[in-house]
Amino acid sequence: MTMFDLQFNTFSEALLMQSQNGQNHGIYVWLVILIVTLCLSICFLFYRIKIKEISKKIK
Amino acid sequence: MFQVNRAYPYIFYLSLAIYLFSVFWGLFLTPEDFVQGNSYRIIYLHVPASFISQSLYLAMAIASAVYLIWKVKLSVYLVRSIAPIGAMTTFIALISGSIWGIPTWGTWWVWDARIVSTLILFIMYLGLISLHDSFNNNEKADKFLSILVLVGSVNIPIIKMSVEWWSTLHQPASVTISEKPAIDLVMLYPLFGSIIGFTGLVTCLVILSSKLQILKREKNKSWVNDYV
Repeated sequence: MTMFDLQFNTFSEALLMQSQNGQNHGIYVWLVILIVTLCLSICFLFYRIKIKEISKKIK
Repeated sequence: MFQVNRAYPYIFYLSLAIYLFSVFWGLFLTPEDFVQGNSYRIIYLHVPASFISQSLYLAMAIASAVYLIWKVKLSVYLVRSIAPIGAMTTFIALISGSIWGIPTWGTWWVWDARIVSTLILFIMYLGLISLHDSFNNNEKADKFLSILVLVGSVNIPIIKMSVEWWSTLHQPASVTISEKPAIDLVMLYPLFGSIIGFTGLVTCLVILSSKLQILKREKNKSWVNDYV
């Protein structure tokens, strides 16, 4: 077992992430990625906007 | 604040690079788990969020103690700044755990000790934010917030030990300080990377949140005018 072994040969395989039992787990994995990305992006944006707003008010 | 401002972009871009690389490594380059199949790849997003949600509360508890003992104003600003970030990471931990539970346990929710104690942590974060914002007097709000954070810190060892003390559906920790990891090194390295990267990103969020808090609370001071 090597450290960097690409597990999926095509884009659709990576999307579906079919396991050996035949179930597609891609929907769960990608949904979590979407949620984490959204949460982090919204938080960063929110604080950047709020800091800009309050800095303008103080000025 | 000036020094933190200078370090911020370095911390942000380095953490982002580590996090993206580790998550990519975990998602596409590690082998499938023989029991859970590919659903186990959620570990690279779930574990960092779960680890950080508890660590942030510990940081809040330490800062609260500092405020109550030495009355350092900055420490209570930090407590108030961490709370929303803690709520966000706990939310990610709960949601990702629930989604992971569907293919693994056959259900998205069980009233299991680990999950319930994490839900309590999430409610505590929200409660602390609402409590602090409901006061008109800032000093009173800071004091109550610090006391409540310290009282609530009892939940952290409960979350940590819940999988040992009770029979839970949630699996025990795969990595401990004292024992050999229960997870293969091929899967473990990207997990460490994702924890480090996520910790760095959350640190950046805490820096931004603290900056906002300081500007809000000190807006009438002359040094703030000079700063902005």
